[in-house]
Amino acid sequence: MAVAELLSTATLVRQGAEARLYRTEFLGKPTIVKERFPKRYRHRALDEKLTHRRTVQEVRSILRCRKAGISVPVVYFVDYSTHCIFLEEFVGYSTVRDHITSVQRSKSSQDQNLEWLAQRIGQILAKMHDEDVIHGDLTTSNMLLKGGSEDQDSELVLLDFGLSYISVLPEDKGVDLYVLEKAFLSTHPNTEALFQKLLKSYIMSSKKSQVVMKKLDEVRVRGRKRSMVG
Amino acid sequence: IYSISKYATKYLTCPMTVVIGFEGSANKIGIGIIRDGEVLSNPRRTYITPPGQGFMPSDTARHHRAVILTVLKEALDQAGLKPADIDCVAYTKGPGMGAPLVTVALVARTVAQLWGKPLLGVNHCIGHIEMGRLITKANNPTVLYVSGGNTQVIAYSERRYRIFGETIDIAVGNCLDRFARVIKISNDPSPGYNIEQMAKKGSQYVELPYTVKGMDVSFSGILSYIEAMAHKMLSSGQCTAEDLCFSLQETLFTMLVEITERAMAHCGSQEVLIVGGVGCNLRLQEMMGVMCQERGAKLFATDERFCIDNGAMIAQAGWEMFRSGKVTELEDSWITQRYRTDEVEVTWRD
Amino acid sequence: MHLTQKLELFPDHAVTQILFRELKNAAELKKSAVEGKINGALINPAMLVSPFQVLVAANKAVHSQKIGKMKTRSLYSEIIFNLSPTNNISEAFKRFGIADGDESVLVVLVHNKDESHHLADITAQVDGLQVPVDEVSSLSDSAKIRKLYKVTPQEEKCGTLLDAVVCRMAIKDVM
Repeated sequence: MAVAELLSTATLVRQGAEARLYRTEFLGKPTIVKERFPKRYRHRALDEKLTHRRTVQEVRSILRCRKAGISVPVVYFVDYSTHCIFLEEFVGYSTVRDHITSVQRSKSSQDQNLEWLAQRIGQILAKMHDEDVIHGDLTTSNMLLKGGSEDQDSELVLLDFGLSYISVLPEDKGVDLYVLEKAFLSTHPNTEALFQKLLKSYIMSSKKSQVVMKKLDEVRVRGRKRSMVG
Repeated sequence: IYSISKYATKYLTCPMTVVIGFEGSANKIGIGIIRDGEVLSNPRRTYITPPGQGFMPSDTARHHRAVILTVLKEALDQAGLKPADIDCVAYTKGPGMGAPLVTVALVARTVAQLWGKPLLGVNHCIGHIEMGRLITKANNPTVLYVSGGNTQVIAYSERRYRIFGETIDIAVGNCLDRFARVIKISNDPSPGYNIEQMAKKGSQYVELPYTVKGMDVSFSGILSYIEAMAHKMLSSGQCTAEDLCFSLQETLFTMLVEITERAMAHCGSQEVLIVGGVGCNLRLQEMMGVMCQERGAKLFATDERFCIDNGAMIAQAGWEMFRSGKVTELEDSWITQRYRTDEVEVTWRD
Repeated sequence: MHLTQKLELFPDHAVTQILFRELKNAAELKKSAVEGKINGALINPAMLVSPFQVLVAANKAVHSQKIGKMKTRSLYSEIIFNLSPTNNISEAFKRFGIADGDESVLVVLVHNKDESHHLADITAQVDGLQVPVDEVSSLSDSAKIRKLYKVTPQEEKCGTLLDAVVCRMAIKDVM
């Protein structure tokens, strides 16, 4: 129960849908502990299966992304018995979501201020998909940003790979973008043009974007044509 | 297309507003009357098909046509009102099945003209949300809307009910209904209700596909798996029909609670409201309640009177719209089978 | 000159690292270690990027010991095993243990946080020059490390070599 004791003294940063995030020190370094605690609303067998699978998927995808040169947190330690992952903490970063919101509030030539960011996101997702990593939960809350403008040496970090998996299928990549599109547009009203910039940059950067875009269109149409009876 | 009319300006200054709502987008026909947040009447009929069969548009429309005037009379009688007391006639504009929607809209249009009252076309999903908010007094909840045709996680921001998560293929209620048809569970009073009762007697958990994509879900994989496997599993004695009901509910509802929680975390919300026909399932409510407890949030749900499609919900959304100055002109009073929740500008909330 | 770090997850335990250069008795030390006469892990500094790498291996070893899931026979062999990117035990010893002609060694001790007495025992057995542990980075053979851990150039654009190494060590059980 070593982990439980450590967490009892750690600072709870936030409780997401999947896990609790704690800030603590680990081997002398500032560290985030992601704890997938048991979800009591789930049947026990299902809970154990999901929790274990997601912990494993998360660390696997992290390594795969790092190997491809995509910024994701370093894993320091994994405890599969308590389903805790010890991760590098990013100090001085803000979420892309907060960044977009604050730029939109400031209202000064927003599109230009965010265009480079949309481009960067498109490039990184293209790289990730070219490595056959499907993130599974792309939102602007799951991206961190350091340096809020194009000129600065800005860095974009992807987080939360709990729903990720490896797939070569264009359909899976299309759905991944569809999930982002919906989260993006519902979180940030009136950003349709900005999201188009993101997709354009994805298309320019990915070797296999053509088939993925075709699937994205199919998934969108399926959504629009779905029967809504009842 | 809506416009501020002479009626609306009059009623904006009048304290009491009475709205009658007509709903018939699927296999229920309901007419309800609302007076400033008070449900005066809300009678309803359900078109029930034999086990193994779904409801077809033309048969459903025929059913609605046969009973709609009786239901209308009940609604007025129970409310103790005369047509003259009504201020506005609201009807479901969509989404739903074409033929039943047309049938009900036609009657609504006719009585509006007969009585000389303004019309209001209402989005069915918004009806569910506004009724849920009225009954539970939830202030600004994350809404899980689950029914035969819809599965959406919705939150309000900047004058729209925005869809944060939804099914990328079939609706949860559709998945349950089609499973019921596979193993011939009765449609009376509803397949979902009977599955819920059978699930209580199930104990063995059978592993089923589980597909969550961020705040979205997919149910088609589960359905095709269970369609292909159900008879084999039952005839080999691997599990009982009750076990299947139990396992299906546990799996589907876990997915729903998960995406709701993800949307709450994303939006920083501390309230959940469950609406729609599947929303009266007590196991779903129980699971959602546990999730809420774990994150210090509050659950709001309603019972079958208001969860399941009904006329009062259309009246309530109509009431809000009418009070905010909207009416639908006769030439605009058409229906549509597809009508997304986020298409409607919410003029009655800040 | 040595470096002691307590393990936050196991507050009774601390890890001490001692680095020696100009080592004269590598073969003798190795023999003693194999015979179990040295209560510590002897590591080839050429394969180490930083003392943090050793801490990660030591923490994981203590964890595996506590939950009864060690892959090797002792805590010290487990530390050496944990440093390796693969699950092959003899390969791990070949790469990360010391060899007869080695001219430097990093000694790792896991002990009760208050006891430091057998520090002297170990130091007495090593015929070499003790230097600050941080100097380990000047002894690392980066090319060899990159090759063994299969670190790609693009990976080092988004992080350090240490990041790459530590991440592989932490995840190797599920790869």
